[in-house]
Amino acid sequence: MKTIREINEKIKKGDAVVVTAEEMIEIVEEMGPKGAAKEVDVVTTGTFGAMCSSGVFLNFGHSDPPIKMMRTYLNGVEAYSGLAAVDAYLGAAQPNSDDDIDINYGGAHVIEDLVAGKEVRLVAEGYTTDCYPRKRVSTTITLEDLNQAIMVNPRNSYQTYPAATNSREEKIYTYMGTLLPEYSNINYSGAGQLNPLQNDYNRERKTYNTIGIGTKIFLGGGIGYIIGEGTQHNPEKAFGTLMVKGDLKTMSTKFLRAGTMPNYGCTLYVGVGVPIPVLNEEVAKACAVRDEDIQVPILDFGVPRRDRPVVAKTNYKELRKGEVTIEIYDNELKRWVEKTVKTASVSSYKKSREVAEELKRWILNGDFTLSEPVAPLGRGSCKPMKAEAKLVRDILSRPPIVARPNISIEEAARILTEKNINHLPIVDEEGKLLGIVTSWDIARAVAQNIKSICEIMTRKVISSTLDEPIDVVARKMSRYDISGVPVVDSSGRVVGMVTAEDLSKLLGHRKF
Amino acid sequence: MKKRIYYWVHEEYRDKPIIAKVILETKVLINILVAKMKPQESFLILELSGSEEQIEKALNMLKKYGEYEDIPKTIEKNKERCIDCGACIVHCPVNAISREEDFTIVFNEKECIGCKNCVKICPLKAIEVCEI
Ligand code: SF4
Ligand code: SF4
Repeated sequence: MKTIREINEKIKKGDAVVVTAEEMIEIVEEMGPKGAAKEVDVVTTGTFGAMCSSGVFLNFGHSDPPIKMMRTYLNGVEAYSGLAAVDAYLGAAQPNSDDDIDINYGGAHVIEDLVAGKEVRLVAEGYTTDCYPRKRVSTTITLEDLNQAIMVNPRNSYQTYPAATNSREEKIYTYMGTLLPEYSNINYSGAGQLNPLQNDYNRERKTYNTIGIGTKIFLGGGIGYIIGEGTQHNPEKAFGTLMVKGDLKTMSTKFLRAGTMPNYGCTLYVGVGVPIPVLNEEVAKACAVRDEDIQVPILDFGVPRRDRPVVAKTNYKELRKGEVTIEIYDNELKRWVEKTVKTASVSSYKKSREVAEELKRWILNGDFTLSEPVAPLGRGSCKPMKAEAKLVRDILSRPPIVARPNISIEEAARILTEKNINHLPIVDEEGKLLGIVTSWDIARAVAQNIKSICEIMTRKVISSTLDEPIDVVARKMSRYDISGVPVVDSSGRVVGMVTAEDLSKLLGHRKF
Repeated sequence: MKKRIYYWVHEEYRDKPIIAKVILETKVLINILVAKMKPQESFLILELSGSEEQIEKALNMLKKYGEYEDIPKTIEKNKERCIDCGACIVHCPVNAISREEDFTIVFNEKECIGCKNCVKICPLKAIEVCEI
């Protein structure tokens, strides 16, 4: 019906009709897709959220004498420089090399500081060669000093994203933000009806109507391009992603911001806006997508596995209201109960709107014309990693060594020394866990002249199950600063013990 | 509403149960956040909660026995840094954070009890709580 060239002519003349994806919903409702396609030329979309898969290629220019940079730090954050002499890639999620600063100032923060025009300390080391005799360089740079600062983000602008909640009894810190215990909040992310891929998605064909390689976009307040489908692109499941590039020198901190997800990591909040040329009815129809049309699963991040259980399904409209009612299983009442849970966004709908509005303004002013994509996005792939999960059941071989609470301290001490162990789970007549006694407890009992096991055993025991991955057990031990956990089956019976020693043999000595 | 004040008790009333008296007469709830009682001076930081009227009455009473000064702000959102995501809302125990129609996140200083929950979770480090 219309071509991009015709739309561009209109833009140049100042005649183009440009609306945001939010405004398009009403227009399609009123006029139908056919009428809307005739009326509207461009729909602007926008999203603004944490996009960890972002970063910048930097070229520093050559120093004199020249150096081949191998280890490169910007304000203490390492940039990958296994490239040509003075090229590096600074990833947004890279923490600071100073452990005390760590995720509080990482790659994303350096990127934001560069965009803000601030001076950044560059320290680099290399190995010397005949052509690159210099070993070390230390100087300050600004964005202006760099030859190039090209943002290349392998995965931005997820079409939708599952929401997160937490079934555990403890607060957890995730890339979806802080999740309170026992399903006390639901965090979600995404611009929904304003999202670029959502508005271009052809629900019948499971492809994108107009977006392709070479589509010119709004990126971080500057002009960018889509250079392909993003990593983990999965159009089949309506989980598309974009790989984008843009010139950092044109961007602004209004649409590019560094953040730190508490106890998780640093990340870059990126504003991405894509103009959609309304070429025909089909395109117009897709642009009418509403928050309520986009289903969002709520996953339990309390389960530290790749495939997290789906707690409920909702949509962006419900999520944006501020509360969602879900059904959860109450272990005490032994039945399903309804719970109204508060929702919180970790991306910004307000900023997403600002992105779409800003792009609209650019086009209306004639400053931004549309590009013809050179090829459609690829089909993508999003399959799991081929890596075996080692579970507790795989490493548990010995029969459990347990004791009843009525044994004496001396007996307990004998068991520990004879079996050469440090932890003794105390069980009832059915073998169910009551508590735990360690060699330390025995020493204390002797020192303080305590006679009964019940007085010295720890009753609130951190335990594990047969199906728990050993990495999860390792995290538990380091989190609670303990050296062993009893393993219980589904009925609470002790089936074995996993100790820090067992794990360090398997996982090596590392920071968990 | 809630109001936080610095309060210096006049020397002659230092050993009188002024706070208890104000609570009894005005039914205002008073939380003593800081108290420094020395022979030469007694200084308090108080948080009053109640209706506007009650608080005014309480302040008038307090004025009789000492001097007070408003604590200007307990919490401040750095408008430049905040991206209005709303991640902080659910972490506030007293519902002092809310979202407006246009998705702007606003802080109600009067309700804030300065617990800093929101400060800790804000990814943008956009919230500043004044120390007392
Ligand atoms: S979490 Fe921080 S950035 Fe987000 S709305 Fe609250 S104050 Fe603003
Ligand atoms: S400091 Fe505490 S009470 Fe005040 S706004 Fe933040 S979370 Fe609410």
